[in-house]
Amino acid sequence: MESAIFVQNLHKTFRNGSSLKAVDGVSFEVAPGEIFSLLGPNGAGKTTTISMLSALLKPDNGATGANDIRIMGRSLITEPLAAKAMIGVVPQDIALYQDLSALENLIFWAKMYGLKGTLLKTRVAEVLDLIGLTDRANDRISKYSGGMKRRVNIGVALLHQPKVIYMDEPTVGIDPQSRRSILDGVIALKNQGMTVLYTTHYMEEAQELSDRIAIMDHGKIIANDSHENLIRLVGQKTRISLSINTEPETMIEPWKACKGVSTIAIEESKINLLVDDSNKVLPRLFETAAAKDVRITSVEIQEPNLETVFLHLTGRALRDA
Amino acid sequence: MKSLTIALNDLRRSFRSTFALLFMFGIPLLVTGMFFVMFGNIKNTDAPVIATTKVALANLDAGNAQTGQLGQTLVDALQSEGLSKLMEVTLVKDSASAREMVVNQQAGVAIIIPANFSDSFSDTQAKVEVEFIQDPTLILGPQVVRSVLNQMLDAYAGIKITVAESLKMAENGNLSYDEISRIVTEYMAATEFSSDSTPLIDLRSPAALPKKNPMVSLVGPIMAGMMIFYAFFTGANTANSILREDEEGTLQRMFTTPTAHTEIMRGKFYSVGLTVIVQVTVLMIAARIIFGIQWGMLASAALTALAIACVAGTFGIMLVSFLKSTKQSGIIFGGALTVTGMLGMVNIFTGNPQSAPLGIVPLFTPQGWATRAILASMDGAAVGTILPSLLIMVAMSIVFFVIGVWRLQSRFA
Repeated sequence: MESAIFVQNLHKTFRNGSSLKAVDGVSFEVAPGEIFSLLGPNGAGKTTTISMLSALLKPDNGATGANDIRIMGRSLITEPLAAKAMIGVVPQDIALYQDLSALENLIFWAKMYGLKGTLLKTRVAEVLDLIGLTDRANDRISKYSGGMKRRVNIGVALLHQPKVIYMDEPTVGIDPQSRRSILDGVIALKNQGMTVLYTTHYMEEAQELSDRIAIMDHGKIIANDSHENLIRLVGQKTRISLSINTEPETMIEPWKACKGVSTIAIEESKINLLVDDSNKVLPRLFETAAAKDVRITSVEIQEPNLETVFLHLTGRALRDA
Repeated sequence: MKSLTIALNDLRRSFRSTFALLFMFGIPLLVTGMFFVMFGNIKNTDAPVIATTKVALANLDAGNAQTGQLGQTLVDALQSEGLSKLMEVTLVKDSASAREMVVNQQAGVAIIIPANFSDSFSDTQAKVEVEFIQDPTLILGPQVVRSVLNQMLDAYAGIKITVAESLKMAENGNLSYDEISRIVTEYMAATEFSSDSTPLIDLRSPAALPKKNPMVSLVGPIMAGMMIFYAFFTGANTANSILREDEEGTLQRMFTTPTAHTEIMRGKFYSVGLTVIVQVTVLMIAARIIFGIQWGMLASAALTALAIACVAGTFGIMLVSFLKSTKQSGIIFGGALTVTGMLGMVNIFTGNPQSAPLGIVPLFTPQGWATRAILASMDGAAVGTILPSLLIMVAMSIVFFVIGVWRLQSRFA
């Protein structure tokens, strides 16, 4: 089966005085009807990648020059208009005309997607219904709440019934209720057969939504698999987060030497460890601390998840990476 | 035609913005309106510019059996409907009362018709003096009244001379008394010396040109200048929407739609042109209705308006192409447009377009050529006369557009 999204060897370097390699050889494929998440900390290269996939940024040629982006078989580089007709893009920030109403925004964007006449009217009405704003269609966007703006922002991308939809961190800065609504909406889109490329730095979202997850760090994809398979990367390792009554650095070397500890890192004055079996390792950690006259003030045990995977792959926690 | 969709969307947004509306229409009309009010609040009518002068009139004329009550005829003429907006006549019984009214500033002018006024007509050698006393603190009103009075008295003198000459001819047997009567009657009719005559003062423009109201002549160039000045601001501000949309993310969103980048940019350029055309058209129509300003022949005015829209829009596009962000726009627009605008319109405010070097300075700015074209059109110039100015504006527009588009396309498309 042909991929809905085919990305090969993307590179992008920004040169503003110094040189910043934002995307470094990214390749992946997304099957039709799949939700594919790009997970990574801020600055990992997710937005740059999605910008290149939206034809907003031109990829560099890279070392080999063999880069390509194909959407439903159409090359974004050689057939940009045909490829873009397959895509609906939900930008990270609200990209709407604040001084126009939701209805006027939707009509304008529908025209930009090439819709006309009855089809335009029908689709605008359907999208308004879908985002639950039919009653407030004539209100200006500036009068909407953050969540409502997000819904219109998503609605615009759905007007032309695209085969593929890109969602760039659509839940940033909104209330839990709106967030829940958006996540449910993404699942509904998948159920309608749409392919979704979703970027986020919230591992819970990636975990809940995604068929497959690509973890990005420093412009590279460091892992790309289903949630279950990614978890298997860390085996049965458990994440233990500890606080102590002195500088965290004091216990890094002693605990690193303990049997069963595979990774150790400091995050926000806490010490995070990946261990094989928490039941066996925890007593050793307490003993070592006692020997150094250090008191453990809090303990948190977490079963393996994407956070654990990121810690395992990079040695850093996802949130502070 | 997505470019048109973009242009119309921008147009709608521009006309929803109170700030933009104020700049596009409010301020130009308001400034012109201020001048209009300051200089007399007069529309395109034949009404006088100056205020009505109060006149105290003492008619002491005793009349004459042969010539009748000529003093009363003069009174009737001064009280005629045609002069009612120039002077408000109050009849007083004697010369002292008339003088007193001027002294007490109850009247600006006192006119005293002497007792022998009518008698003087029956005696061709007799002299008569009509006294004219004015409030020394007033200038314009009394001068107008004096001018009207002089005109009337000249007419009297003319009649008197006509009668005298006719009598001499009669004595020589060249004319019968019936013919003398007809000549005098025709002369009196020709002087329009009767209470129901047409106005004594009738200013006429050269026959080829329509009659102009002096107030409109004063306010017209100011309105034209305001229109051009703010059209350039509108051009720049509308072009600035490219940067604004870039910062708000809507431009990038457009680029993600199946629309060619060049078409999107074309739409933005159309929006600049359309917005300025609408602004100039509305201002011209509004100024015609409100202030009675004549913009000249339709073809000349329309082509000039189009050329102004072109040069203002493209100048704005070029200016915006040099900006990195909208944060710079206030300084750049304020500086560049104010300086070029002031230089371009210097002749409107100095009132001497021919003087060098002041007359040449505006020609280095697009506003200067726009001003030159619109003033010529307002003076009734035909298209052929203003064509050189229009062609220079078009040439400037092409240069501005090429620079602006080249810079913006390489940045966004």
